[in-house]
Amino acid sequence: MKFKVFSMIALLSILGTSTYAADGELSIGTEGAYPPWSMADANSNVTGFDADVGNLLCGKLQMKCHFVVQAFDGLIPALKAKRFDIIISGMSITQDRKKEINFSVGYAELANMFLVPKTSDLVGIKDIDTLLKGLDGKSIGVQAGTTHAHFIEKRVPTADLKTYDTLDQMQIDLASGRIEAAFADASALQDFLAKPEGKDFQFVDVKVQSKFDSTLGEGIGVGIAQENAELKAKIDTALCELVADGSIGKASQTWFKSDISRPCS
Amino acid sequence: MDLELLQHAVPVLLKGLGISLLLTVVSVLLGFNLGLGLAMMRLSENRFVASFAKYYSMVFRGTPLLVQLFLFYYGLGQLSVVRDNAVIWWVISDGMRCAVMAIALNTAAYTSEILRGGLMAIPVGLREAAKAGGMSPMLRFRRIEFPLAIRQALPAYGNEIILVVKGTSLASTITVLEITGYAKRLMSQTYAIFEVFAIAGALYLVINLILIGLIRALESHLMRHEGR
Repeated sequence: MKFKVFSMIALLSILGTSTYAADGELSIGTEGAYPPWSMADANSNVTGFDADVGNLLCGKLQMKCHFVVQAFDGLIPALKAKRFDIIISGMSITQDRKKEINFSVGYAELANMFLVPKTSDLVGIKDIDTLLKGLDGKSIGVQAGTTHAHFIEKRVPTADLKTYDTLDQMQIDLASGRIEAAFADASALQDFLAKPEGKDFQFVDVKVQSKFDSTLGEGIGVGIAQENAELKAKIDTALCELVADGSIGKASQTWFKSDISRPCS
Repeated sequence: MDLELLQHAVPVLLKGLGISLLLTVVSVLLGFNLGLGLAMMRLSENRFVASFAKYYSMVFRGTPLLVQLFLFYYGLGQLSVVRDNAVIWWVISDGMRCAVMAIALNTAAYTSEILRGGLMAIPVGLREAAKAGGMSPMLRFRRIEFPLAIRQALPAYGNEIILVVKGTSLASTITVLEITGYAKRLMSQTYAIFEVFAIAGALYLVINLILIGLIRALESHLMRHEGR
């Protein structure tokens, strides 16, 4: 019995050993297998857009960065168990995740765009208001339950909205001409354009961002434990400065060939 | 359950109710006629005709309706042969029409089996009496065989209509906004999953209760001379 208790305590103390902030060190949980956001090599050196954001953040806060690589679905539980101080792993800020952890301000955001046939009358539109007017009465495909679906429901209620369980199904219907436009984030639609079926389609040159309408979410943020309010305040300030001075934008150019940084409102 | 949600959800789901009913009525009408044709083919002396009907019902009863819907909607939609044919594309291009077609073809298979059973249950003596009385095959079918067969098959056929009502919910997977389609949409808007699907379920239940009542009434009308 004594031995059992002892081994239990020993086990718990091993499990309980956290990498939690030694003074002057910021430990960051990241997926490490999600290029170009976060890639870890065999020696646990992390590169990618999220690594750059982390390093910039540490520089601002004058702390030393320490990356902890962890599968994406385990990031939030691990943060709650204080295995690291923050998560930087291309994590979108969502209502569900907010119930579990806190988020910083959004530091990046994927552009939401409309994909249409090259023959569409929407091709060539450059501003959002003309685009939304042009979508009136058109059939638009979105993935069910996404912020994109909510956006169309709210801003273009006159459209014939088609919701799909998966993006693949939406793309099949776009290719076969059942819908006149598809709305999703640009990186997902880019995949479709690269396929042979995508050859007759192009983007409408308007990036619809969450600052235009908050139904589109709040971008990608840094995950912070709920009790760590002080750290959140510091990180928010630092991120806003880093986006404002263009450092995050520059990192984004390196990895995405475009600026996906999201300015603080 | 809060009242505001109810006020928002019920009118939306009622919009879907109309579409669910339309889907049911059109596909049952088409499916019944197809099924009757198939049942007669099945009983034909011509072996080619009979085996066509047999394999048709085997294929459509042996595969899930959801798979059939995906095959027709997403599968056929990818073929350029289908897209270039104006008539076929008219049916396939629209989720609603495509769903009607798939459900009708599916229920036709079951209907053919049900009616075949009814037709086979007709006593040989009645048929022979009609023949001896000089009735043409058409007249014989209309006056003797069909009325007897439908009376025999009605309880099982009523079951099949109920299955069709429930089957229409699958149309939501190919963008049709019927009860389930609207329920899914309300779910992602309100996160009130339990309430929304409880109302949706209640709507299906009401449709089916009314249907059961109607079929019972029709049954006792057809059986009025049987004295039971």
